[in-house]
Amino acid sequence: MQVDPAGGTEMSIATKPAEPALVGRSPGQLMWRRFRRDRIGVVSALVVAFFFLIGLLAPVISALYGKDPYTRYGQIQPGLLNEYGYPIKPNGGMDGEFWFGLEPSTGRDVFTELLYGIRTSLFIALAVTVLAVLTAIVLGIAAGYLGGVWDFLISRLTDLLMAFPQQLFFVAFLPITTSLFVDPREETPVWIKVVSIIVVLWALGWMTLGRILRGVTLSLREREFVEAAKVSGASPWRIIRKELLPNTVSPILVQATYMLPSFVTTAAALSFLGVGITEPTPDWGRMFATAAAVYRSDITYMFFPGVSLVIFVVAFNLLGDAVRDAFDPKTVR
Amino acid sequence: MLRFLLRRSLGALAILLLISAVTFFLFYAIPRNPALLACGKGVCTQEQLAVVEHNLGIDKPIPQQYWEYMVGIFAGREFPAGSCPAPCLGFSFRDNRPVLDTILDRLPTTLSLAAGGVVVFLVLGLGFGMVAAWRRGTLTDRTVSSTSLVLSSAQIYFLGPLALALLVYNNQILSQPGYFPITEGPGAWFAGLLLPWLVLSTIFTAQYTRLSRAALIEQLQEDHVRTARAKGMGRRTVFFRYAWRGSLIPIVTVLGIDMGSLIGGAMITEQTFALPGLGRLAVDSVTQSNLPMLMGVMLFAALMIVVFNIIVDACYALIDPRVRLA
Repeated sequence: MQVDPAGGTEMSIATKPAEPALVGRSPGQLMWRRFRRDRIGVVSALVVAFFFLIGLLAPVISALYGKDPYTRYGQIQPGLLNEYGYPIKPNGGMDGEFWFGLEPSTGRDVFTELLYGIRTSLFIALAVTVLAVLTAIVLGIAAGYLGGVWDFLISRLTDLLMAFPQQLFFVAFLPITTSLFVDPREETPVWIKVVSIIVVLWALGWMTLGRILRGVTLSLREREFVEAAKVSGASPWRIIRKELLPNTVSPILVQATYMLPSFVTTAAALSFLGVGITEPTPDWGRMFATAAAVYRSDITYMFFPGVSLVIFVVAFNLLGDAVRDAFDPKTVR
Repeated sequence: MLRFLLRRSLGALAILLLISAVTFFLFYAIPRNPALLACGKGVCTQEQLAVVEHNLGIDKPIPQQYWEYMVGIFAGREFPAGSCPAPCLGFSFRDNRPVLDTILDRLPTTLSLAAGGVVVFLVLGLGFGMVAAWRRGTLTDRTVSSTSLVLSSAQIYFLGPLALALLVYNNQILSQPGYFPITEGPGAWFAGLLLPWLVLSTIFTAQYTRLSRAALIEQLQEDHVRTARAKGMGRRTVFFRYAWRGSLIPIVTVLGIDMGSLIGGAMITEQTFALPGLGRLAVDSVTQSNLPMLMGVMLFAALMIVVFNIIVDACYALIDPRVRLA
């Protein structure tokens, strides 16, 4: 798991005069080289990048496509929805104009809805991942490096948060977090809902990585290069920044690639349960809530959000495995 | 063993106390006014608000409220709307009933769902994992591994409606899911829960297959396994007696977490199949802003997690003789 910070350069200095063909490479370069040779890893990285690109470019794509996720096309244009509000054309109303069909009853365009839904979900998951990783770094390294009272307090906090029933915590505390920002009697703006979801997921999202980082720091603290830095008079801040942090890159990257898809599916589950993002904001998870209401008559509506979510999660998990293998070639698959 | 249980129970009690305090504080202290939450959007007049506040007991200072709540758990409480006997986890003003009664009403559903699911996914997951690890690198392994990768990435809120549409509504292969007490007829109980079990365990089976395969492969590289092989012990004996036993440690860890959270309420499964369990109760309490009920469910679920943590640690000692309790 660990990377000797000076390992790469030391090697190159030692071997350069004898064998000029050997090039000194940093651990990061070595990781990158191993990763590039992993075909499954590269493909899944491309798939993941594709999803992020879709999310980023959702406004551009829908402008080119000529529709938006809010307009109720089925209610404006006659001949799209039948009297019960279901698409008249087969397969959920899929045709050249509405590529992924129409949403039953509202008659919105599923293609743009999914684009913007992915955008919302990825934004939330990315924000939570960044916050959780930062929290884990600060608390994990503080607990491991400072030790003593700090370690005790942070470790007990971790234990406590880990004993919380996760899903229940999310579901129960979302409305409460929202009520922090707005009076329950007023309508909640969308951005406040988004912020609440981020806060709640963040609160219980950092502990696993925090524990790992604490362990890594504990073992690194006793290593010679840290002692050498201490002896040569480096400040604790410098030791953390220059000696410890570079060695925690691998667990951080590996954990973050596992965290992000789990935040996507958890946020989607919250929307599915009706406490997350609500109408009319497009959201990946909210589409499943709609789908659950209409699947008996129109199963096609669920197809695209469902299949794309499975592809996304599979690709991200494969990417996580590939990143882990690239950092630590010893692991077996 | 007794000392271990005693020590861990005390620790669990401390954790539960903290969780209850944190939850209580967040529920009753942070929102501007829980009575407003309970009232909904612009429904209550000022007088009604005062009544709700008095009923919720929130016209008193927070620490006093918490103290009364804690005392209520051990001694029971009296409310204007009714009495709440000894382990009083709160009183729901929506249905004028002690919270614990409702929780106990809902528990059999969740327990049935969890128990059936666990049996299926443990047997299948460990089985597939063993087959894949035994035949590592072959076509069988690759098929099992890739199938389980895809299925473990599926979500209940996607697979559930899909299975319902395909197996129940369009083809009538299975009957409509629902909960019928086992005491009223095991047949109906089984038929009603069959589809939820299948969907729940499909995803978990895939996850446990991956987990058990990885754990077995790691165990097979261990020194003691190699030594046993080098000494001439048969592959099968080494696989089952040495590697399999060792691979159970990470599985038991995850199983403990999963069991705890499943019995605390399989929210999404219960919502998907409209099963009236604890998870459904929690979701309904949130939409109705029934804070006492939520508080009770939260404490109960936390208790389950803590209890299964202790069971897991006790299991470690059974699996690995090097682990000593106490």
